Amino acid sequence: MIPLEHFLVVSAVLFSLGVYGVLVRRNAVLILMSVELMLNAASINMVAFAAYTSPERFIGIIFAIFIIIVAAAEVGLALGIILRLFRNRRTANVDEVDQLKW
Amino acid sequence: MGMEQAWLIPAIPAATAAVLILVGKYLPRKGDWLSVLAISASFVIFLFVLKDLADALASGGEFEPGRSGTDWVAFADFKLRIGFAFDQLAAVMVTVVSFISLMVQVYSLGYMKGDSRYGWYFAVQSLFAASMLTLVLADNLLLLYFAWEGVGICSYLLIGHYHEKQSAAEAAKKAFVTTRLGDVGLLIGTILLWRSVGTFDLSEIFAAVRAGEVDQAYLTASVILLLLGAMGKSAQFPFHVWLPDAMEGPTPVSALIHAATMVVAGVYLVARTMPLFEAADGTLVIVTVVGLITTFLSATMGLVMTDIKKVVAYSTLNSLGLMFVALGSGSVTVAMLYVFTHAFFKALLFLASGSVYHATDELEITQMGGLARRMPLTATVFTLGAMAMAGLPPLSGFWNKDELLLTVFDNQNVVVFLLVLVSVVITALYMTRLVLLVFAGEPRNKQIYEHAHEPVPAMKWTTVLLGVLTVFAGFVVFDQIGRLMGFPGGFGKFVFSEEGEAFRVNAGVTASSIVLVLAGIGGGFYFWWGPALRAQAAAQAIPRLYDLVRNKFYIDDAYQWVINRVVLVVAAAVSWYDRAVVNDTGVNGPADLTRFGGFLLKFHETGRMPNYALVMTAGIVVLAVIAFLVGT
Repeated sequence: MIPLEHFLVVSAVLFSLGVYGVLVRRNAVLILMSVELMLNAASINMVAFAAYTSPERFIGIIFAIFIIIVAAAEVGLALGIILRLFRNRRTANVDEVDQLKW
Repeated sequence: MGMEQAWLIPAIPAATAAVLILVGKYLPRKGDWLSVLAISASFVIFLFVLKDLADALASGGEFEPGRSGTDWVAFADFKLRIGFAFDQLAAVMVTVVSFISLMVQVYSLGYMKGDSRYGWYFAVQSLFAASMLTLVLADNLLLLYFAWEGVGICSYLLIGHYHEKQSAAEAAKKAFVTTRLGDVGLLIGTILLWRSVGTFDLSEIFAAVRAGEVDQAYLTASVILLLLGAMGKSAQFPFHVWLPDAMEGPTPVSALIHAATMVVAGVYLVARTMPLFEAADGTLVIVTVVGLITTFLSATMGLVMTDIKKVVAYSTLNSLGLMFVALGSGSVTVAMLYVFTHAFFKALLFLASGSVYHATDELEITQMGGLARRMPLTATVFTLGAMAMAGLPPLSGFWNKDELLLTVFDNQNVVVFLLVLVSVVITALYMTRLVLLVFAGEPRNKQIYEHAHEPVPAMKWTTVLLGVLTVFAGFVVFDQIGRLMGFPGGFGKFVFSEEGEAFRVNAGVTASSIVLVLAGIGGGFYFWWGPALRAQAAAQAIPRLYDLVRNKFYIDDAYQWVINRVVLVVAAAVSWYDRAVVNDTGVNGPADLTRFGGFLLKFHETGRMPNYALVMTAGIVVLAVIAFLVGT
């Protein structure tokens, strides 16, 4: 079998890419996509541990399903906010939304 | 009504003062009758208490002063007591204080009529009477100190009665600050005595000192500090500067406070604590020296001053100096006799001066002259007072001068005796000068002369009564008179520090004093009779000396220099420190620092989400690393 560490590394790399995307991207939708990436990376982590440490129990897999559900709900909400933002300010660029400052 | 009710004597004026201060302006006539009633009640109660004292003395045996009072604060080894002790010394003082207060308050009914602060004047008069009576009846040093401060405040308020006038406000401040310097001495001396003996009670302190429980150096220090307090209040050199300026106050105030009562508080203090002075070696010498300096300084200044009240003020300083010489000779009897007779003739001199001022609105004697023809009664009583001051027999002043010379002759060295004899001449000289320049000769200012008239009854009859007492009060020295009044003997057998003395005479001393008095009076006539040409010639012959004395030996100027160059400089430095270091740095500093910190920190609220995301991520990474490192 492929050693567990390989899956963990993949998960970590994906997560880092997601973090990078959240921090760097200017478009709100792209930030959302990066967040999805992070969530999926976490999912992979869960499933990998589940498969390798206790395959007869489905805890990790069930956790992964929960992550997918929450991600879906959250994206629906987030896109709603982004649409609202776009209708108000004609921009999806998060750098330009800085009114709540000192 | 006996000695145990002596506390009523100060309590009644105190209550009256409180009433007058609070509701005085709503009372009819602003409550002046209430004040006079209160002091009369005090005087009457005192007479009963005095009778009780006389009876106690007559019944023989060891005399114990009548005590009354209550503990105010008492815990562990600390006790503050509002306690009163009535003994012969207190009796003399209460006589003087209550009677002269009564005379002055009645006089004020006429003198202060129409004044804008009429009610307040009488309120403070009552307060003063209460404080002074408490002072002389107090049985412990702490209560005495409170009352001491009380009379100081009343003096300040009364000197500054006409405070719209700049000079009056300044004079009040000067009086208060100068006596304050002495008061510090009194307070520290009291505390030192308390620390070594453990109590403020006077009789306990005396017992401890007699038993030798107090170290000699410590006792001397305490006594000198107490003496400083006495010197401040009794205007001894170098604290004498406030008394002439205090004449800015209304004349009845000068008569009461700065002649008969408050200024003798210092004399009373030394007399009361005489056991301490006798136990501490060398202190009585200091008392004598201080008294002599004060006497000569003031007598020479009285010779050249031209304001009638100021001349009388300098004569008060003269008398106070001699009282201190009497104390320095160890004789409480003579000092208290002097206080007793001096109160009458000095108050008389001031009140009569007030009559002159009230009638003519003028204080400069260079503008007066010949007033005896327009104010014969006032002139008569004034002259009686002046001659008593000079020491002409058989007026009261002669008896105390004689007793003073006798005690100095017996107890001091010949230099002191000769100096006192010289002062007798100078006193007679300047008192004669005053009488002649004001009342005799030709009027120098026609307007003033035309204005002069006898005062209203309230003012006239109080001065007359004091005049009568000036003539007869001295006879209390005789044992026969004393026994007639119910006492065991004359004044010498009534008030004493060690044991009573019968009245006695040294023919040589008495004769020389009478001769010197007559010489002084004669000299006064020689220089100042008529147009006073010889006096002018004498003044022109010694111009520099004359100017020196006229400028009060430049002592006031010296003090002002010290104030300007030392006190105010230090005050400016301290003020700078308080403002720059304590306030700006100490108090405002942390506040300013916090605000600045807040100012710097606010810039992290950029409002931009990516910034927040970055910081959050960085924080989590740091925490993870720390957790990893701690875990391993």
